[in-house]
Amino acid sequence: MDKTLPEKIRENFPNADVSSVEEERLAVTVPKEELIDILSFVKNLGFDHLVMVSCVDWIDEGQFELVYIVTSYVSYNGESSGKGRQHIIVKIRIDRSKATFRTIIPVYQNAEPYEREIHELYGVDFQGHPRLTPLLLEREYPVPPFRKDFDSRNYVKEFFDSIPEIEEEK
Amino acid sequence: MRELELYFGPQHLGMVGNFSITLSVEGDRIVKATANPGFLHRGFEKLMEMRTWIQDFPLVCRINVIEPDSMEMVYAMAVERLAGIEVPERANYIRSVVLELARIQSHLFGLWGYSNLLGLDTVAQWAMYHRDLVLDLYEELCGGRVYHIYIWPGGVRRDFPEGFKDRIVKTLHTIGNSVPDYDSTFFNNRLFYDRAAGIGVVDKEEAKELGAVGQVLRAVGEKFDIRKVEPYAAYDKVDFDIPTREDGDAYSRIWVVRDEMIQSVHMIFKLLDQMPEGEVYNRVPNPFKWKVPKGETYVRVESSRGELGLYMVSDGGDKPYRVHFRTPSYTHGLILLERLLEGASISDVGNIMLSSYVVAPEIDR
Repeated sequence: MDKTLPEKIRENFPNADVSSVEEERLAVTVPKEELIDILSFVKNLGFDHLVMVSCVDWIDEGQFELVYIVTSYVSYNGESSGKGRQHIIVKIRIDRSKATFRTIIPVYQNAEPYEREIHELYGVDFQGHPRLTPLLLEREYPVPPFRKDFDSRNYVKEFFDSIPEIEEEK
Repeated sequence: MRELELYFGPQHLGMVGNFSITLSVEGDRIVKATANPGFLHRGFEKLMEMRTWIQDFPLVCRINVIEPDSMEMVYAMAVERLAGIEVPERANYIRSVVLELARIQSHLFGLWGYSNLLGLDTVAQWAMYHRDLVLDLYEELCGGRVYHIYIWPGGVRRDFPEGFKDRIVKTLHTIGNSVPDYDSTFFNNRLFYDRAAGIGVVDKEEAKELGAVGQVLRAVGEKFDIRKVEPYAAYDKVDFDIPTREDGDAYSRIWVVRDEMIQSVHMIFKLLDQMPEGEVYNRVPNPFKWKVPKGETYVRVESSRGELGLYMVSDGGDKPYRVHFRTPSYTHGLILLERLLEGASISDVGNIMLSSYVVAPEIDR
């Protein structure tokens, strides 16, 4: 009999914390050194579709959580089966004060724009990324703007209130 | 030959939408293309972290101007999953009808842009007119033409008005009756074939590697459709086909769009026939005091451009802790487009971009 997916992951990655968030969504938290290995492993199992890379700022714990969601491309062949609904949410925690990590482009090519965005909005440095250039934002910010300690209201007040009023011509 | 740098968009006649591409060209061949988004960045994901669960609804539809309903749907689904809210059966059917109408109007809008670009203006005017007919339906249903704020956690905001089903059928008949005109003027037009066939070809392996979804993937023969793979709303109750093509070029992609619209029209007729009576809305708690339990979720729907997903984290408070949208145009516009443009001619930039349906507000968010 085939082993279930959580068993396979637990067998190969004893340090991984595997839990089921809800039906067909499996959350796997691994130490950050094992991320590339586990992504290559699930890709070989058929999870060939990297849905997104996300980042959550857990400011109280002083950590960033990088979230990689993978699933598989399934060709529909006349029957709605459970295959293809399974998602794996791979998570790692990195230190908030020393936010550097490795890129996963060698495993999933389409991670490139996602990592660029996280670099810009959260200030996470992805080593080995070919171009960590600005993507969406217009100007430099004192703190990367999607971090929880970025005070949007204060920033708007300081930035836009400082624009001098237009004087009427005499 | 000397290599030149050319700024294409956002203010360029060949560019639809607020998007820009920096092209390195030799003659009229593109050597390298760099997508340059950000002209519409409004920071919606950050704004949503500062508002309550219900206050986020008027924001979430504005992320995608062209098809706001799938945005509302994916957000409502995520909230329902986290909070454990059931949706009445009739509301599921209404949601599916509304989402299919949205798909039709969005594809017509895409067809407007695309045929305009090829110089076939007559078809563009027809498409815009027919899209407006669908928007009239929306106006009657919820008061808004572009932003609807209609799909809501727990169901939909209100039931269909009296006689609304008949008016949907009438509008769809008007659109369906002009399919032969569209075919003879546009889809079977030699000009369209000459301009689009063999342009922007992507093969199956590369498309999957670059995270393509939607019609880009269906144009290479992959039957990947969230409505079938992971049915939501009432899509598991009706029968429909997933149109595919094999060639993977702009011509195939636009044909897939056409066939999809026809499937959607048939599907709406079936949904209206089967629609049960009953409630359309399960009450949610007082929105001002509503706290959603701690947890995380990833939900996805099939928008008119492909897989649209939402990763949402709640820390148990009255506001979401983190929202992150996976939009189909994101990978299409930022990585697939760059690859497809390498080696193409300058005159095909808009052709490739619009056939893979890159929508700028969705990339920037």
